[in-house]
Amino acid sequence: MTETIDARSSKKVPDGKLIRVDLTYDDRIESVTITGDFFLEPPEAREELERAIEGHPNDVERDELLVAIQDVDASLIGFTAGDLADVTREALT
Amino acid sequence: MTWTIIDEGRYSEPIQQALEPVLLDRVDAGEIGPTLRFWYRERPAALLGRFQDYSDEVATGYVEERNLDVVRRITGGGAMFVEPGAVITYSMYLPRSEVPSDVEESYAELDRWTIDTLRDLGIDVSHEPLNDIAHPDGKIGGAAQLRRENAVLHHTTMSYDLDIQEMLRVLRIGQEKVSDKAISSAEKRVARIGEYVDISRDDVIDAMVDTARNRFDVTERSLTDDELAAARRLADQKFSTSVWNEEL
Repeated sequence: MTETIDARSSKKVPDGKLIRVDLTYDDRIESVTITGDFFLEPPEAREELERAIEGHPNDVERDELLVAIQDVDASLIGFTAGDLADVTREALT
Repeated sequence: MTWTIIDEGRYSEPIQQALEPVLLDRVDAGEIGPTLRFWYRERPAALLGRFQDYSDEVATGYVEERNLDVVRRITGGGAMFVEPGAVITYSMYLPRSEVPSDVEESYAELDRWTIDTLRDLGIDVSHEPLNDIAHPDGKIGGAAQLRRENAVLHHTTMSYDLDIQEMLRVLRIGQEKVSDKAISSAEKRVARIGEYVDISRDDVIDAMVDTARNRFDVTERSLTDDELAAARRLADQKFSTSVWNEEL
């Protein structure tokens, strides 16, 4: 049985906004909350981004996360899917 | 472009924030045309961006002690501290057809008449992407947008003579956020219109209205009873609840 860990990581995107990821994981990512001073259209897509990150293994590859995030139909303003993937992976380490 | 200006009415922060979706939705539905509204507040308040964590941004103990309103906006962006008479806040509710489709371009375009007004008053301001109105001394204000299918909300708050010390007590200004700006003190990040002009806040707003009159076809009106009733309902149901303001 893997230990459940709460983790948080954040990034101030250069010339962009702050994104922060809080997550709970064991061998997989259980729950994700994305906060910060970014913009997102439509705003409801925040929860879809969170769902897109959940369920991946705790050693998920960047590309796999990136594809899942990019699959969400939303405009990310002040950060990129790559930024979100990086912050997520940082929280997992 | 014909603008309708609403430049009156003092309301609580939850009602002010509730007026945003109420008026945006009416432009979205084609019920009203392009509208510019200036805000007049009753009390100091902290405003959170749509996606911000309450306890990360607000000094919760101090806010409770002072019984300050903390209200989440429908727009993204950062936390702000506001005081009646010390900031200038206005909202533009526009049909999408009047707004550049590129987001970055639309912030620059919709801030332009304000920046031109401040420059005419002798203030050295410029648009700083994505959404800041900046002076060489620091940030004077910021805008935030929200898009609906047929309409765009662009609202802006600028400091006239905000109490920066109080702002620093109310908000947790993250060091992380300023790390790429090479600024050591958070105080330096805010510049205030009142430091650069000898005219009152109301005179600055009058100058903005004059710019709008010169540039656009302008009519004035009050909020309708119906708009206000809808905003009061929404304030009760959403913008004054801890579910909306404190949770995500």
